[in-house]
Amino acid sequence: MANATVNNTLEATPRTATTKNAARRVRVAGQVPAVVYGAGKASQTVSVDPRQVQKILYSQTGHNTIVDLKLPNEQAKAMIVDWQYEPIRGHLLHVDFKRIAMDKALRIKVPVLLKGEAVGVKVDGGILEQVLREVEIECLPADIPASIDVDVTELTFGKLIRVEDLPHGEKLKFLTDANQMIAHIVSVKEVVVETAVAAVDATAVSTEPEVAKKGKQDAEGAEGADKAGDKKKDKK
Amino acid sequence: MLMPKKVKYRKQQRGRMCGKAWTGSQLAFGDFGIKTLEPGYITDRQIEASRIAITRFVKRGGKVWIRIFPDKPVTKKPAETRMGKGKGAPDHWVAVVRPGRILFEMEGVSRADAMEAMRLASHKLSLRTKFVAREGHI
Repeated sequence: MANATVNNTLEATPRTATTKNAARRVRVAGQVPAVVYGAGKASQTVSVDPRQVQKILYSQTGHNTIVDLKLPNEQAKAMIVDWQYEPIRGHLLHVDFKRIAMDKALRIKVPVLLKGEAVGVKVDGGILEQVLREVEIECLPADIPASIDVDVTELTFGKLIRVEDLPHGEKLKFLTDANQMIAHIVSVKEVVVETAVAAVDATAVSTEPEVAKKGKQDAEGAEGADKAGDKKKDKK
Repeated sequence: MLMPKKVKYRKQQRGRMCGKAWTGSQLAFGDFGIKTLEPGYITDRQIEASRIAITRFVKRGGKVWIRIFPDKPVTKKPAETRMGKGKGAPDHWVAVVRPGRILFEMEGVSRADAMEAMRLASHKLSLRTKFVAREGHI
């Protein structure tokens, strides 16, 4: 279990214009617009190198990594608290940094990693489903774990791993509900090869669902049908 | 076939599908998935065909999530009908997707199996798609 207090230095350049167009110009220049806030100080709009941020996000400690944020007139310990990706190409759009005090407890989300192969998967042929991937904890910045590892080798059908089953330490206070499920084994449904008859039935299903205002719709529908009938007669 | 149980109005106008799918563009349930790279309609039949292709390939094993729902009715006029006389009758249901939207997700299979299952599923769709995996699996 690695610790999040790895020394990373990140240089940030202040930016004054906070408009959408200015942010786009920053992105075109190969930087990412970001904001620094927290610790009772005023927020500051900055731009950072996206490669350095990606390096931090993809590191072992991920977004919980504590970085030394270097600004021209300030140097602060900070953490990445929020980041946005572009939905198609997946490049970074914006990053939020929060200044942190090393002697004050933080509320953070830590990933839960499942270790080992469960009996329910190996012997019984089920699927290990992880329902909760992150848990919220409160601890000092120096005690932030990179991840919380859980051994799932004994997990069988009908058994669950809950938040209360996670390895608790004195330094970590779990804020997520203790009864919340983290992982369980689910059974696999056998695929039944559909026959031609079944396929025909599927196509015969009506495409008309129930209409909420049924009375009104029915009246309209009846009127419409009558009109159509009259017009057909006229045609003939 | 997927369709709403109850609707407020039987027919809808076409609407717009410009922009990107900001919501529903990240994996939420499984480890692997496919996302669309184009805007368009995905019909209820295409969703069902893709689902069958995925479940048939993985046979036993793997859990699949469908992240889109066809809630938009598409109307059609009968064949050999003159134009006019009002809008046609509801024919089928579609899901409106914008680029970046996650369509299917799966879990409980290897990366190679997931890629193949998603490739088969994408062949049932009329839009270009991309395979995506959770950060830990890259």
